[in-house]
Amino acid sequence: MNNKNNHYDVIVIGGGITGAGVARDCAMRGLSVLLLERFDYTNGATGRNHGLMHSGARYAVTDKESATECIEENMILRKIASHCVEETDGLFITLPEDDLGYQKTFVEACRAAGIRADIIDPAEARIMEPSVNPDLIGAVRVPDASIDPFRLTVANVVDAQLHGADSLNYHEVTELIISQNRVVGVKARDMYTGEVKEFYADVTINAAGIWGMLIARLAGITINMFPAKGALLIFGHRVNKMVINRCRKPANADILVPDDTVCVIGTTSDRVPIETVDDMRVTDEEVRVLLAEGEKLAPSLATTRILRGYAGVRPLVAADNDPSGRSISRGIVCLDHEERDGMAGFITIVGGKMMTYRLMAQIATDMACSKLGKNAVCETATTPLPGSEQQKPASGKQAFAINAAEGRHGTFASKIKYESDTDRAMVCECEGVSVAEIRYAVENQHVPNLVSLRRRTRVGMGTCQGKLCACRAASLLGRFSGNIAKAQCDLAQFLDERWKGVKPVAWGSALREAQLTATIYQGLCGLDKAIARKEDEK
Amino acid sequence: MKFDTLIVGGGLSGLTCGIALAKRGKRVAIVAGGQNTLHFYGGSMELLGNVNGKDVDNPIEAIAQLNENHPYSKIGADSVAELAKKAKALLADVGIQTIGDATHNHYRITPMGTTKPAWLTIDGMATSDKADQLPWNKVSLVYLEGFIDYPIDFAANGIRQMGVQVETPTISLDCLKRARRSATEMRPTNLAKIFASTSAVAQLAQAINNSCGDADAVLIPAVLGIDNDDVCNMLKAQVNKPLFFLATLPPAVTGVRINAALRHYFQMLGGRYILGDTACKVVTNGDTVTEIRTTKLLDMPLQADNYVIATGSFMSRGLVADFEHVYEPLIGLDTNAPDDHEKWSQYGMMGDQPYMSYGVMTDGNFHPLKDGKTLTNAFAIGQILGGHNPVVMGDGTGVSMITALAVANQIK
Repeated sequence: MNNKNNHYDVIVIGGGITGAGVARDCAMRGLSVLLLERFDYTNGATGRNHGLMHSGARYAVTDKESATECIEENMILRKIASHCVEETDGLFITLPEDDLGYQKTFVEACRAAGIRADIIDPAEARIMEPSVNPDLIGAVRVPDASIDPFRLTVANVVDAQLHGADSLNYHEVTELIISQNRVVGVKARDMYTGEVKEFYADVTINAAGIWGMLIARLAGITINMFPAKGALLIFGHRVNKMVINRCRKPANADILVPDDTVCVIGTTSDRVPIETVDDMRVTDEEVRVLLAEGEKLAPSLATTRILRGYAGVRPLVAADNDPSGRSISRGIVCLDHEERDGMAGFITIVGGKMMTYRLMAQIATDMACSKLGKNAVCETATTPLPGSEQQKPASGKQAFAINAAEGRHGTFASKIKYESDTDRAMVCECEGVSVAEIRYAVENQHVPNLVSLRRRTRVGMGTCQGKLCACRAASLLGRFSGNIAKAQCDLAQFLDERWKGVKPVAWGSALREAQLTATIYQGLCGLDKAIARKEDEK
Repeated sequence: MKFDTLIVGGGLSGLTCGIALAKRGKRVAIVAGGQNTLHFYGGSMELLGNVNGKDVDNPIEAIAQLNENHPYSKIGADSVAELAKKAKALLADVGIQTIGDATHNHYRITPMGTTKPAWLTIDGMATSDKADQLPWNKVSLVYLEGFIDYPIDFAANGIRQMGVQVETPTISLDCLKRARRSATEMRPTNLAKIFASTSAVAQLAQAINNSCGDADAVLIPAVLGIDNDDVCNMLKAQVNKPLFFLATLPPAVTGVRINAALRHYFQMLGGRYILGDTACKVVTNGDTVTEIRTTKLLDMPLQADNYVIATGSFMSRGLVADFEHVYEPLIGLDTNAPDDHEKWSQYGMMGDQPYMSYGVMTDGNFHPLKDGKTLTNAFAIGQILGGHNPVVMGDGTGVSMITALAVANQIK
C-alpha cells in the first residue's frame, strides 16, 4: 500500500470501469486514493456486455446527448487505450422487414451528433462484411469498434497505482462510517480472510454500478435505480469482422460484435429485482430471442457453435423528480449527496455507459476536487493508458503467444520475461497465452484466483473454453502464488463458472464439449473428489 | 461388400466386439472415424465404481443395486462376472497386461492426486488397495521440465494428504530439449514418441537414479509406451527403485496404446478396420437393417447379417442434441431423452447431469428400438447405451467392454 496512515483524500467504491476510471483521474490530479472492489475488477456490468465501443450511432435518433458523448469518447479511447481497441468499424443494416425510410432519419441524426455515417450500397456491404445477411436492402457504415473491457479496466487500475493510488480487490464495503452527517470513511471486509478494516477519506465516491443503490442505502440514502438485465451469447469463432447493427429503433439482440477470437450477440433488456443481481442466469426465452434475432444479422450464426451465455445488469437511474421510473436516463448521473440529502463527503456517479466511463470519472473527480478545494486539470483525455503509450508494434514475426500478449498488454508486454524454455510453453492454445504471461499476470495484476487470471489473460476464453488450459493455468497459478490447494479449488470453481454460462445453451456442440470436459475433469482427473475432500476438512 | 458382422464405431466397445467375433472366425468389418474416448483414459478400466454416492468394493455384488435400465441389469450379475473375466483375458491376448478383478475394486491414482475405484489397471500404473492410503511412506514424484500437461503440484498435494511424504525433483533431459523449445511440443504423445528410443529411456533412467534420494518409489508421468510397454519395462529395469506411472492430461499414452493393441490384434485375426471413414446412411427394411453407406465408399453398400452400433455418446457424435431433440443420427433410433432441452442439464457442473445418462432404447438383448419396434439384426453397445452416468458411477469402460462381449455372445 502506498498510503500508510489509512487516511485518503478519496475512497472509490467499485472496481468496474467507472470506479477504475475515477481512481485514475483522482490519482493523476494528485489526490491520494483508495479503490475498493468487492470481487474481482470488472465483475459487474463492465465484464458482462458486448465489448462494443459505440460510435454513438445507436443513440443518435433517440438521445442526441448520449450520442455526442459516445462519439467524443470513442475518438479519445482510440488514442489513449489503443491496446484495448480494435478498429473494426460497424454497419447498420436495413432488412426487408425494416423501414428503409428510417435510414435517412438515422444518418441525419448521426451527422447532427458529429458521427460519420456513410450510406453504402448493399452489395458493397456484403463485400466489406461477407457474414452479413445477404437479404439486406440498406447499409450505413459508422465508426463502431470492439473494445476489451477487462484490459481497459486493469489498465486504469494499474495507472492509478502508478500515480500513487492504492487498490484492493476482494474487499467488500460493509459499512459507511458516518459522523455528523458526513461520510468520513468505510469499513471493508477482506473476502478471503474475513478481516474487517477501516479506511478514512474526506470524500467517498460511490461508483458501484447497480450495487451503488445498496451502497447509498448504507448512508440511509435512496437512489431510484432500475436494474435492467441484458443477456448475451458468445459464439465459438469470429463470424464477423465488423460490428453489425440493425438500422431501426434500438431493440433486443440487434448488435453483433467481433471480440478477439469470438463474437457476441446481444442484448435483451428486462427489469429485474435488485435482490437478484448477484446471480444473473440466462433464461431459455432469452436464448431463443438472441438466436432468432442474431441469425437475421448474420445467418451463419445458426450453424455456429454457441460457447456460452451471460448476463449483466445496467444501472439505469430514474430522474429524481420521477419516482415512477418512466423517464429513465441512460445519461450520466452524478449526485452530490451533501446538496441532495444533507450527507457531506459522499458522491454517487452512476448511469452512463462503459463508453463514457472516462467522462463520468472526470465529472465525479471534478466534484471531488471542488469539495477538497483542489484545483487540478483533468488530463485523462490526452494521457495514454499504460500499454498504449505508443502505436502498436508492427510485429508478426514473433511467436504467436508473444504477439497475442502484445495485443493484450500493449507496451506492458515487454515486461513479460521469457527466461527459460518453459516460459514460452503454450498454456492456452486458443488465445495464445504462455507460461510467462501467466506469471506476469499473477505477479503484477491482482490475480487472487483463476477467474481473475482469465480476465487478465483471456486464458480459457477461446473455443475450447478451458478444456486443458484450465488445468495448466490452475497448476501454474498454484505454483506462482504459492497456494496449491486453493488453486485446485479455483479450478473447480472456474469450470463451474464456465458451466453456468454453457448450461443455458447446452445442446449441439456446447453439450458435446461439456461432456468432454466432464469426462476429463470428473472422470479422468477425479477433481470432484479433490474438492469434496477439501470441503470435508473445513 | 458382405460381412458376417459390420460394426460402426472403432472405439473400445467396437474393437472388443470385433475381436470376440473375429476370434470365432467371423468376417467382421469396423467403420472407424479415428480418435475415440480411449484418448481420455486414466490408465484403468472401471466396471462399477460408485453407486448412490458410495464407492463400490465388489462391483458384481453392487449390480443388484442398479436400476433396471442400467446395461448391467439387462445382462445380469452372473453373466457380467463371466464377461468381466473374458474382458481381462482379451486384454491380455492383445498384449495389455492388467491387475485387478471384478469382485474387488482397487484404486487408481488420478492426476489430481485423488483415488478412484478401478477394475483393471494397466500393469505398471500407480494403484492402491485403499481409497485413502497409499503403499509407500515416501515417493519421488518426477517432474519433466516444461511438461505442463501433468499437474504435478496438485498430484503431490493429494498424495501428501494421504500421509505420504512427497518430493518433486525436476528432471531436465537433453533428449527433450528440442521439444521444450517449441511452445506446443511438450504434450504426452509427443513425449512418448521421443521415449520410443532406447537412448532417451537410458537418459531418463539415469536422471531418475540421480535425483530420487531416499524415496520408497518413483512416480513418473505415463508418457512412455505408445506402441507397447517394452520401453516401460526397459525403464523399470534401469531404475534402481520401484517405479510406477501416473496418468496425465489427454491425450493418454496408455489409451492410445490400448487402442492400437486392440486394432492390430483385430486386424491380425483378419478383421477389416475401415479407418477414417464415417457411416452416413443406414438402410432399413421393416425390422431389419439391410445395408450401410459410408461417406467415402458411397457407391459401395456395406452389408452384413448383423450390424452393431458402437458410435458412442454425444462427445463421439453417436448421439446428437439439437435445440429440441436428442437423436441418434445414423438410424434415428429411439432415445430415452425428453424433448425439452432445459431438462437435459442442471446448474452445478460436477453434479449428476441428466444428459450423461441418455442413450438409445434397447430390448433386454441390446437390439435397438426404432419407432418403438426392435431392429432384429442390429445391436447397440458401449456409450451409446443410456441408463447410467459414466463419470458419476465410474462404469464407462466397463459398460463398453461388457456390452460388447454380451452382444458378441449373442451373434451366432
